[in-house]
Amino acid sequence: MLAVYHFVFTNIFRATSFAGQSFLAFVAVALWPWLAAQEALQRGALSLAGYAGMIRKVAFPHEFVVLASVFATFALQFAGYVAVLLVLKLAGEPIHLSGLVIAIAVWVVLVVAIVGITFALAALQVFVRDVEHVLMPILMILMYLTPILYPLSLVPANLRIWVAANPFNWVVARLREALLDGQLGVHPSDVVAVAVALLLFAGGRWVFRRLSPHFEDFV
Amino acid sequence: MQLAHVGKDYAKVDTRGGRLRLVYDLLRGRGAAHVFSALDDVTLTLSRGESLGIIGENGAGKSTLLKIVAGVIEPTRGNVSVNGRVGALLELGAGFHPDYTGLANIELAAALLGLTPREIAAKRDEIIAFADIGDHIRDPIKQYSSGMVVRLGFAIATALAPEILITDEVLAVGDESFQKRCIAWMERFLDGGGTLLLCSHSMYHIQKLCRHAMWLKDGRVEQFGLSEDVTRAYLTYHEEKAATSKSGMPLAEAMATGAYAVNSFDASVDDIIHGEDVSVRGDVYSPDGRAPVVVIGIVRADGTPVFGVASDMDRVALRKCDDHRFEFTLTFPALPLQPGKYWIKAHAADPEGLRVFDNVERPLVVRGRTRELGLVHLVHRWHDGIDR
Repeated sequence: MLAVYHFVFTNIFRATSFAGQSFLAFVAVALWPWLAAQEALQRGALSLAGYAGMIRKVAFPHEFVVLASVFATFALQFAGYVAVLLVLKLAGEPIHLSGLVIAIAVWVVLVVAIVGITFALAALQVFVRDVEHVLMPILMILMYLTPILYPLSLVPANLRIWVAANPFNWVVARLREALLDGQLGVHPSDVVAVAVALLLFAGGRWVFRRLSPHFEDFV
Repeated sequence: MQLAHVGKDYAKVDTRGGRLRLVYDLLRGRGAAHVFSALDDVTLTLSRGESLGIIGENGAGKSTLLKIVAGVIEPTRGNVSVNGRVGALLELGAGFHPDYTGLANIELAAALLGLTPREIAAKRDEIIAFADIGDHIRDPIKQYSSGMVVRLGFAIATALAPEILITDEVLAVGDESFQKRCIAWMERFLDGGGTLLLCSHSMYHIQKLCRHAMWLKDGRVEQFGLSEDVTRAYLTYHEEKAATSKSGMPLAEAMATGAYAVNSFDASVDDIIHGEDVSVRGDVYSPDGRAPVVVIGIVRADGTPVFGVASDMDRVALRKCDDHRFEFTLTFPALPLQPGKYWIKAHAADPEGLRVFDNVERPLVVRGRTRELGLVHLVHRWHDGIDR
């Protein structure tokens, strides 16, 4: 995926660098967590259906199914992320490995938020089968509205505030600052991000708990 | 195990809008707007070492009740308290993930019951041996036959040494030898102080394994008591249902379709002491006025045929009452059936005895004290013996 983007953007659009940063490293740092989140949401939303037999016949906390699905996706994707960073570093790309400390913290916040959203989506999917179909295009749109393939600075100034308000922009920005610029400080926006993640988690779990007693009949 | 006034409602939705509406209602903490009451006002107490059979027609709420006791669903009304480790085998297949292999599902099930990896490893061989499905244990569950799924499910449920075992129709799918092993296991389990909750359509299994039985009808307790009494009442209910659906039907429908039909069929007694006479009589409708053939058969309660004879085999013509009705009476002198439950059946057949049209059955209970084995008493004589 990254190789395709690299080819398209550097060889066709001839965008080799943004603000003095290598395009390959610029995209890799941000694209990977997005793909992880996207996969976790899509697989997590459908996870309960795979365990329909167990939900109908075994008494166990249904949260486990969603948690297992999301954690499995993120564990795999994070390992891939670290591997890609190491490869880029070895290839001479400007990656600050010290920034991994911040990167891990950002990923943890991301996981908390995604678990919350997935709780809600998975529970809704049991009752309304269309969640998965609606999710696909929404994720596609969100991806292009988030500065993953382009820097925030390229966005026209009057729209920039809306793009910056996207919570995922925080993930992208913080990862780039830490891994590409080597900034290890703490931001005021971090508090907001953690609060948003915890809110999403609490909200998602509330939805899940309200609906889960009725899964048995609908899953 | 105690259940007090337990009830369960299921939301009734059919349209997509209804589903959204339901989600909205549930999120607001209200119940569903349209519900179907699957179970209502069930109260029961079951102590350690007791066994209870649950019987009832399809859709009577049996599985719902078992699921509530197993903790899979929460009751809408009432209280449930269960003390003891529950092993549950609900609706064929103990809740397997279809894509995982048998081995992986063993570990999954055991882990969900709170076993440590070491305990699981210790139990695994025991489970595989009991399930006895050979190399299929390495195949995904979705490739299993329904019998294999049940075998594995039962093996898992029992290997984890439950104090309360809940099983739903498991015996119906397994083959003969597996059924026997299951029954032997359950008997040992009961002797060892285990508590059994068994749901089955086999009255034979209920009577064999359960001291008490509960008959559920439309989600409510119809009868609760000793399993012999409840199963008899339940069977009688079915006979009456079959009889009412037959009475009037044969004549009207037989006339319409031109079929031969048993119009009435009665046994002189339905409860005899071993060795007494039994007579049956009835009449058969004939659409074309020709004398039909009647076939009388006796089967054991579990369906094993004991004896059958047709009037044309004995070269007997039925007595004509009017243009379309022919009577018969048949006596079995000193019926040599061993004590147990049987059905006497009458079938109407065409005059050629080629096609069987109708089937009416009556129950027969044979009582008596004997230690002889088998279905019938055979006349026998020991030679050169002396009385002990």
